[in-house]
Amino acid sequence: ILTKTQLHFSRRIMTKKLNQKFAVKINTGKTRREFIGSIWQRRNHREFTHVLHLVYLVFVGIMLKSKTFVKKTRSGGVIKVVREHYLRDDIWCGSEACSECKQDSTVLQTDASIESSLCSYPHYLLPDSNVVLHQIDVLEHPVIQNVIILQTVVQEVRHRSAPVYKRLKDILHEKEKHFYTFTNEHRRETFVEREPGESANDRNDRAIRVAAKWYSQHLNTAETQAEGLKVVLLTNDQGNKQKAEEGGLLVFKCEEYIKSLIANPELVDLLALSNDDKNEITSSKVLYPEHLPLSRVQAGIKSGSYLQGTFRASRDNYLEATVFVQGEGDTSTEVILQGLQHLNRAVHQDVVAVQLLPREQWVAPSSVVMQDEGAGKDDGVEEDEEEKVSSRKPTGKVVGIIKRNWRPFCGMLNVSQIKESTRHLFTPADRRIPRIRVETRQSSTLAGQRIMVAIDGWPKDSRYPNGHFVRSLGGAGEKDTEEEVLLLEHDVPHQAFSQAVLSFLPQMPWVITPEDMKQREDLRSLTVCSVDPPGCTDIDDALHCRELENGNLEVGVHIADVSHFIRPGNALDKEAANRGTTVYLCGKRIDMVPELLSSNLCSLRSNVERLAFSCIWEMNNKAEILKTRFTKSVINSKASLTYAEAQMRIDDTSLNDDVTKSLRGLNKLAKIFKRKRIEKGALTLSSLEVRFHIDSETHDPIELQTKELLETNSMVEEFMLLANISVAQKIYDEFSECALLRKHPAPPLSNYDILFKAAKSKNVEIHTDSAKALADSLDVARVDGFPYFNTLLRILATRCMMQAVYFCSGMDSDFHHYGLASPIYTHFTSPIRRYADIIVHRLLAVAIGADSTYPDLMDKHKQSVLCNNLNYRHKMSQYAQRASVAFHTQLFFKNRGILNEEGYVLFVRKNAIIVLIPKFGLEGTVFFDSKDKAAPCVVFDEEGPTLTVEQHTFHIFDKVKVTISLDASNIQHQKIRMSLVHPVIPGVSVPASDAEPQAKKLKVDR
Amino acid sequence: MATVQVSEAEKVYILHGIRDDLRADGRGCEDYRHMEIETDVVSNTDGSARVTLGHTAVLVGIKAEIGKPRPLVPNEGYLEFFVDCSANATPEFEGRGGEELGIELSNMLYKVFNKHCLDLRSLCISEGEHCWLLYVDVLLLQCDGNLYDAISVAVKAALFNTKIPRVHISADEDGGKEIELSDDPYDCMRVDVENVPCIVTLCKIGHRHVVDATLQEKACSVASVLVSVTHSGSVTCTRKVGGGSLDPESIFEMIEAGKRVGKSLHAPLMKLLQQEESLGKRRQKVGFLG
Repeated sequence: ILTKTQLHFSRRIMTKKLNQKFAVKINTGKTRREFIGSIWQRRNHREFTHVLHLVYLVFVGIMLKSKTFVKKTRSGGVIKVVREHYLRDDIWCGSEACSECKQDSTVLQTDASIESSLCSYPHYLLPDSNVVLHQIDVLEHPVIQNVIILQTVVQEVRHRSAPVYKRLKDILHEKEKHFYTFTNEHRRETFVEREPGESANDRNDRAIRVAAKWYSQHLNTAETQAEGLKVVLLTNDQGNKQKAEEGGLLVFKCEEYIKSLIANPELVDLLALSNDDKNEITSSKVLYPEHLPLSRVQAGIKSGSYLQGTFRASRDNYLEATVFVQGEGDTSTEVILQGLQHLNRAVHQDVVAVQLLPREQWVAPSSVVMQDEGAGKDDGVEEDEEEKVSSRKPTGKVVGIIKRNWRPFCGMLNVSQIKESTRHLFTPADRRIPRIRVETRQSSTLAGQRIMVAIDGWPKDSRYPNGHFVRSLGGAGEKDTEEEVLLLEHDVPHQAFSQAVLSFLPQMPWVITPEDMKQREDLRSLTVCSVDPPGCTDIDDALHCRELENGNLEVGVHIADVSHFIRPGNALDKEAANRGTTVYLCGKRIDMVPELLSSNLCSLRSNVERLAFSCIWEMNNKAEILKTRFTKSVINSKASLTYAEAQMRIDDTSLNDDVTKSLRGLNKLAKIFKRKRIEKGALTLSSLEVRFHIDSETHDPIELQTKELLETNSMVEEFMLLANISVAQKIYDEFSECALLRKHPAPPLSNYDILFKAAKSKNVEIHTDSAKALADSLDVARVDGFPYFNTLLRILATRCMMQAVYFCSGMDSDFHHYGLASPIYTHFTSPIRRYADIIVHRLLAVAIGADSTYPDLMDKHKQSVLCNNLNYRHKMSQYAQRASVAFHTQLFFKNRGILNEEGYVLFVRKNAIIVLIPKFGLEGTVFFDSKDKAAPCVVFDEEGPTLTVEQHTFHIFDKVKVTISLDASNIQHQKIRMSLVHPVIPGVSVPASDAEPQAKKLKVDR
Repeated sequence: MATVQVSEAEKVYILHGIRDDLRADGRGCEDYRHMEIETDVVSNTDGSARVTLGHTAVLVGIKAEIGKPRPLVPNEGYLEFFVDCSANATPEFEGRGGEELGIELSNMLYKVFNKHCLDLRSLCISEGEHCWLLYVDVLLLQCDGNLYDAISVAVKAALFNTKIPRVHISADEDGGKEIELSDDPYDCMRVDVENVPCIVTLCKIGHRHVVDATLQEKACSVASVLVSVTHSGSVTCTRKVGGGSLDPESIFEMIEAGKRVGKSLHAPLMKLLQQEESLGKRRQKVGFLG
C-alpha cells in the first residue's frame, strides 16, 4: 500500500517515464509515423506496467543504470544500443563464514584450506577470465575448491569460447566443487563503469580487481567465524597483477599458485603453457610462415583470393592434407596441400583459409604411406617428375586459420630418451593429429598409459604444437581404458549427467496422478506384453492383440511416453538432443537419458503401471487395416519376454493363456505383413552380428556367437515398422513442413558393380533396376553345394547401400525409404534410446491434441540442424559400436592364441584378400606383400575381380583357411592378423599348426 | 497553429503596453522569456536537448545513421528533419491535426540548417559511398508561442551534444572497403556548431515589433518575420509568415532588430552549453522533473 506522498512521487515518475517513452519512440526512426500524437490516448498497457515496475524498483531500493554501446549491424549500419542495468544491494557473497549477507544457502566453505606453500591461511580463489579460459583443466581437478567465479568472468568466457563455457557451467553446478558465481556486475559496490580511454579488457580487469577488493574487505568486516579468511586473485597478466598488488590485494600468477600446492604435484602437469613458457622451449628457427590476421583472411575470402574450407589431414601421409571447399550450391572442390610449410600448423578439422598455388605447381596426391618418425628426417616433399599431368589436382597452402577445432586428444606418451627430462612427445591415437609436445614430471608413470592431451598453441618456430597433459585414462590395452578411448575418439558424450540435467527428473517415488489418468486412456486391463533381447532393461515397446466382438482383430503398439518426462527446452531435453542416441557397446550402454528414466520410469516393465503412447489398429484376419488411432495411455504389461521365451510360448501347444494367444495372433498377422512387404520390394539384407558371452567376473569375452534370428524377432520388427509408417503418415499429413522423417535413398547404380561382378563369377544374375528386382534376384540366387552363398551375397548387397538419414519434411522432396520399400518412414518406437523418436512423439502429440506445441518444433531450419546432429551421432555411435566389437574380438583372440578357421573371400584387393569368417562374424585382411619378405608375384585383374598370387588365383567367395592371431606390435593400434593356410602357396602361406610360437610370428609380420 | 481566443479589451491592453515597450508579462520588446536548456536527456539518441521557453517545451533527438551520400554532393552527409506535434502539446494536434504544422516547421528547418551553417563534409565517411546522415527528430511537448525560436535553439543544443561514433575505413589490397567501428565508446566525433544559426521571430504588433511573442501577443499580430542569425550576426535566411502585409521600412527594421537579438542570444547559449558539457558525469540530470 502506497502512502500519499509515495503516490504523488510515483505519479511524477510515471509522467517522466511516459515522456521519455515518447522520446524513445520518435527516435527509433522506422516507427516515427506511427506515433504521431496518439500515444497519450492509447496508453499502451505494456508501457504502463513497465512504468509501474520502475516505480516498484525505486521503492525497494534498486538503482537503475543504463549501459550504452554502439554496434555494427549486419547491413553495415551502426546503431546505438542502450540497456537498462539494475544495481542492487541484495547480492550475497555466498560464503559460509559471512553472517552479514542474508543468504538462504551458502556455497563457499568456512574451512577453505588447501595445502599451499604460498598461502598458509584458508582462502578463496578468484581467477580472472584468462585463467579460466586457459586453465580450465586445472579448475576441473577435484582438489581445487572454494572458487569465486565473477559474472564478468563468466560473460567473457561465454563470449570467447563455448566449450570452456560449458565446462565452467558444469563445474558451477557441481556441489562438491564449491564454486560460486558472484554477480558482481549487479552489486552496487562492485559495478564498474567504463572510463574514457579504457579498453573493454581493462575495464573487465578493473571490475575483477574491484570485486576482489570488495570480497576481502567484506570477509574482514563481517563477523567471520573463521580467522583470516582471505581472497586470492589469480591472474596471468603482468599488468593486472601489478595493479592488484598496488591495490593491496593478494595476487598470484596461476603457475606460481599451482606449483605451491605441494600435496598435489600432479596439478602442475595440467597447466597450459603460457606464452612466455613457450618461447623458451622452442628454438629460434622460424619453421612456418606467419598466419594472416582474421580481418585480412575474411576480406580475401570475400574477394575470392582465398578459399575457406575444412582441413582434413591424410591418415597415411603426415605431409599431406586436403581441404574441402564448399562452393556455391552443391559443388565442392578439394584442394591438396603438401609439405609442412604449406600445411602451416593446421590441425585436422580446423577451418582454414587456403591460397591456390599457380597451376604449374599443382601436384597429384601421393600414394606413399609416410609416418612421422621425428624431426631428423627431411621434411620436404620429393617431387616426382614423371607424374602424370592429368592426375594433378588444385594445390594450395594454408594462409590463415579461421577456427581452431582443437579438442583433447587421446594417445600415448613417447618418453624422452634423456632421463630426467620433463619434455616429451605425445603420439595421438588418431593418425591425422600431429604429435604434441608436452611437459610432465610423471613420465615414468604415464608411460604405457593412455592419456589425454590438449593443444595450447602452435608457435611458428616450433615443429610440433605445444600442449599439456589433461588426464590419464588408464593402462593401454586395459578394457576400461580402451572403452573410454573409443568413446572419446568417436565423440560420444559419455560423462555422467550433470546436476542441472538430473534436476529435471521426476521426484521419486513416482506415481501416476489422477490428472495423468484423466488425460489418458486407461488400457491397464489389456493383455500387453513386451518382447526384447535378453538382459534388456530399457524396454520401449510393448504389444497386444485381441479379438473384437465383430470378429476383427485389435492390435496395439505401446511405446514408452518419454516426451511426458522430457519437456522441451530444459537441460534434460538439451542433453538428450545433444547425445542423440543411446550407444550400445559390448557389455556397456551409454544412455541418452538418465537411468531413472531409461531403466525405470519409461521402461515398460511387466506388472507396473507405465505411461505409454499407443498406436492402435483394427484389422481383419487378412491383415488389412480398417482403422488407425493414436492415444496417450496408461498400460500395465503382463509379461516381459525375451525373443526365445516368446518363441517357446508360441510353439508350445499346451499353453493357452492370454499372453500366448495374443502372441500367436500377432505372429500370424506379422507373417502376412512381412509377405506383403516383400511383395512390394522390401529388401532382406544380411549382416553378421556377433554376441559375446562375457565372463561375469572378469568381464572378458569368453565366447563369441553370431546372433540368431527367430520368428519373434521379425514379429516385433513388423509391428514396429507398421507403427513407424502409420505415425510418419500422420505427422506428415498434419505438419507437411516440419515432420521429422527418415529416408533411405536408392544407391547409385555404380555402387552395385562389386555385387554384379561377384554374382557373375558364380553365374548368377542380379538385377538392380528397382528394389523389388534386387530382392527377387537375391531370393533366387543359389549355388548348388554352397549353402552359404546366398548369405554372402546379401552381405555384399548390404555394403552397396546408402546410409539412411533423418530429415525435415519441409527441407527435402524425396521421402522414399528404399530398403523398406515404403514411401514414407520415421522413427517412433524407441524414444528411450533415440532422440528423433522424442521429436516424433511431440509432433504426434500435437497432432492429436494431447500436448501443446513450442516454436522450435515448428521451425524447419532448427529441426534441420537437429537432424544433422542426430545423423552425426547415429553414425558415430555405429562406428563406436563397431570399434567396441573389434576390441572385444581382439580380447577374445588374445586369450586364444593362434586359431585355424575356415572363411570365405569377400573382396579382392590389389595386394590383399578380405576374408570373412562366419563363425565369428569376423573380417580380416590377408596381405600378400610384406616389407621384409620378397614380394610374391601378384597380378590383379579388375574385371573378375581376381588376384593371382604366384600360381593360385583367388575369386570372390572362394573358401580359404586362415590362421587368426592378435598383432600387438603397435600397442595403440592392435589388430587381428590373418595369414593364409589353405590353399598352400609356397612362400606365402603359413603352416596350419599352432605350434609356431607367437613371438616369432609377430616378428615376421612386422 | 495553436491559437487562443483574445477579447478586444485584452488586445487593446497588449497593444498599448507594447507601444510603451512594456509587455503584459513585464518584458521589453526585445526580451526573451525565461529559457531552460538541458542536453543529453534521451539516452538512446546520439545527441538530444530539451528546451523550455516560457511554457513552450520542445525535445530534440538526433540519431546518426550510415547512409549513401546524395549523388549531386557525393562528399557530404546530410540532415533529415521531422517534427512531431504531439497531442500532449495541445488537443488540436490529435489525430492528423498536427501534421500540417509539422511539415511547415520541418520545411523551415531544412532551409535554415543547410551547408552554410554546418560542415557537411565532415559527415562524409567515404566519398560517394558512405556518409553519416543525421535524423533530427523534433517533438513538441507544449505550445505557448514562438515555436521556431525554441526549436532552433533546441536543434543547436542537440547538435552540440551529438556524439557520432568514430569509424575507420579499412581497405585491403583488392580495394574492398570495410567500415570498422571504434571499440571505445568514448571515441567519437563532434559536430562543429559555431556557425549554426538561431531563428528569431519578430511579430509586428501595432507599429512596433516584439521578439518571443506569447500566444496572446501572437493573436494581436498580423504578420511576423523569421530571421535566422549566426553568432557573427549574419543573416542566413528570412521569411515572412502570417496573413497581413508589412511595409519595406518595417521589414528592414525588423531584420536589424533580429540581427541584434540573435547575436546576443548566441553568446550565452554557447557559454551555457560548454559549461554543462564540462560538468561531465557530475551533472545532475533534471530531465522532465524540472
